[in-house]
Amino acid sequence: MEDIKNRVLEVLTDGNLDYKQKKHHLAYIAESTQAYPKVSAEAMEALSEKVICDLFEGSAPYRPRYILPDYKLALIRGIKYLELDPPTDFDEAINFLSILYSHVPSITGYSVYLGSIDQLLLPYVGDLTEEAIYKKLKLFWRYIDRCLPDAFVHANIGPEDNIIARSILKIEREFKQVVPNLTLKYDTEKTSDDLLEEAVKTVFEVAKPHIANHKMTAADFKGNYGVVSCYNSLPEGGGSHTLIRLNLKKISDAHKGNLETFFSNTLPKYCLMTLDVIEARMKYLVETVKYFETDFLAQEGIIKLENFSAMFGFYGLAECVNLLMKNNGQDYPYGQNDEANQLGHRILEEMKKLVDSRQLPYCEANNGKAFFHSQSGIDIDIEETAGARIPIGEEPDIYSHINTVAPHHHLFNGGISDIFHFDETIKRNPLAVLDIIKGAFKKGMRMFTFNLSDSEFIRITGYLVRRSDLKEFREEGSRYGSTLFAANSMDNADVDKRIAKRVNSHERTASQY
Amino acid sequence: MRELRANISGIIKSSVIDGPGNRMVIFFQACNLNCMYCHNSHTIGLCNYCEICATACPTQSLAIDKEKKQIFHNDVTCTHCDTCLKVCPENSSPFYKSMSVNDLISEILEIKDFISGITVSGGEVMLQAKFLEQLFISIRNHTELKALSILIDSNGNVDQNRWETVLDWVDGFMIDIKAYSPDIHKQITGFSNEKILKSIHYLNLKGKLKELRLVFVPTYNDSDEEIKKITDLMKRLSPEVKKVLIKMRKHGIREKYNFLNEPSLDEMKAVLNRFETAGLNLLII
Repeated sequence: MEDIKNRVLEVLTDGNLDYKQKKHHLAYIAESTQAYPKVSAEAMEALSEKVICDLFEGSAPYRPRYILPDYKLALIRGIKYLELDPPTDFDEAINFLSILYSHVPSITGYSVYLGSIDQLLLPYVGDLTEEAIYKKLKLFWRYIDRCLPDAFVHANIGPEDNIIARSILKIEREFKQVVPNLTLKYDTEKTSDDLLEEAVKTVFEVAKPHIANHKMTAADFKGNYGVVSCYNSLPEGGGSHTLIRLNLKKISDAHKGNLETFFSNTLPKYCLMTLDVIEARMKYLVETVKYFETDFLAQEGIIKLENFSAMFGFYGLAECVNLLMKNNGQDYPYGQNDEANQLGHRILEEMKKLVDSRQLPYCEANNGKAFFHSQSGIDIDIEETAGARIPIGEEPDIYSHINTVAPHHHLFNGGISDIFHFDETIKRNPLAVLDIIKGAFKKGMRMFTFNLSDSEFIRITGYLVRRSDLKEFREEGSRYGSTLFAANSMDNADVDKRIAKRVNSHERTASQY
Repeated sequence: MRELRANISGIIKSSVIDGPGNRMVIFFQACNLNCMYCHNSHTIGLCNYCEICATACPTQSLAIDKEKKQIFHNDVTCTHCDTCLKVCPENSSPFYKSMSVNDLISEILEIKDFISGITVSGGEVMLQAKFLEQLFISIRNHTELKALSILIDSNGNVDQNRWETVLDWVDGFMIDIKAYSPDIHKQITGFSNEKILKSIHYLNLKGKLKELRLVFVPTYNDSDEEIKKITDLMKRLSPEVKKVLIKMRKHGIREKYNFLNEPSLDEMKAVLNRFETAGLNLLII
């Protein structure tokens, strides 16, 4: 109890936190007084050693990690709990969504998904002029950044070219806000080159949107999907109860034996343990907390338990491969050597099989299986490279880079990302980026994210932070929760070197007190 | 068809500055001008197997078989110090490779999904018009490559028959104008420019001139008369032709031309203004 009191006092007196951030941390401390959902002693040890990492979801899950409300349905039906009637025009629709966003739970306290904004708002455009739409969206966008100040808050646009998507890209270039994170769903048959070019020019300015391979991603879902938080693709009207990630570096460090016993013993043992943690957390949320029986979103059908699953993530593939190669007498690095790359593919294929062979409760959205996710890293990852990425600074030329990672993108129905870097000269020739994106998608990439060198925006893992915010935070704290996360990432992971950009999260900060 | 070969000094698989979109650029060895500011003077000449480079190599990474006309290069011991390039009396290099049309097609196939097209450059690529014709026909007849655009980056210093050889297969040409007056042209490049001026008009007439570029060399091609004549020439071209002013850069030029002055930003702006006053808007690169 004394310990809890001290932790609380530390939060209360921390001048770098604002009122809301303090409340968030206090809630985390309160949650930590509860026993962790029942898992084996070995799994608990793996959790405490961060061999298995629950990304600071807390010890007593009382809301799903990723919720993707069916905003379209909400707009049609209205929401009783919030006493909101269905909107009848553009202003009412924006107002409706603004209110709803602030009531969607998440781990960070801010909704990770704002919907396919253009698709949601297009039915309300009526006879509004382009100028009027632009002006209204500007206010909406400012509201989102100021009232949902977390870089994991994510909006989608596309695949069809439309006035809302274009206005949003224009506003993004003008406002240069960190929030919301943004994804353009791209489909060769539906998305115009013009819209893709607009998106690319927007990336030049603000390091977003990410470009998602729409056809490939959509094929993995029964209904509509959304890209949320950091490259997580999940079902709309549902989401993911939890995201638990396995540290492949640590399990290869601990592995005793040869390469084959890694595949026959170590890898399956830890994958199953990770799945056990996932199952225990889901049961706690559904059966003990009874979230889906009590929350208004579920009660009103805006989310449905049957549209949920869980996410099995991992990180540190590069370090895992390098160590296994070295121990096998072949000191060749992942990303630069074909044998190392093949070993990487084999590990991923094997993990995918293990994940797919485990039937889990409450995962109906993916037929009783967890979504497989290449996790893009958080600030505490000092020694591990994000997901299946090639380590920062060791990336080969862009074609080799794409050819190395594209063959495994199909495995990740829960999302994957690789970040590419372009010199500033490419600003004069945005069509060149279009060529490369289209080529990457032809090769089977699911998601394409790129940065320019020396941009004001730095992408940390999947989210953005402004260089100036980072500097400010180090001096006096920041309005964005994710800036701390980014400051840590920047200090820890050489992301500066990568030309990267930055954003925020409360994952790390919550566990600090 | 007899298989032709060409000397290729280098291939860049992703270029964003050699035409629209992402492009593969193929550089051909040998040139028929000798510009003072040439950044790649080792692409001007052809090797005569004199062995000067092999003797000068500080790591003994080069060996030359005169009889068989073969060059051996040890990439492991080579430190890429470029001594071989600096000492070559022929402005050549021991590194260019003889490649066939099929060799190049294989290279293009490898990256076809990522590019809008190819650009061939030099050296002076039009010296290889016959080879280009075969290369372009192969591209246009290849089901997976036929949609690629083909651009030629040339100094323009060839006769009309060479343009005719490739014209039907090519999307466009990017040509340099180094100076208008033959005398000044000779000072800058070692050669006169009658053919170049004819080429510019011919390609413009055929609707294939995409870009005309003037490299600004202070005190050489910036007299009032030069600017007036170049302006007149550019004004006679189709408005579709992109007209560009390029800053002469000293990076990589031969030591004997160190006396050249790289124009400052202010000088660039000043010369741009003079063109504007004469009624011509140029893009600056």
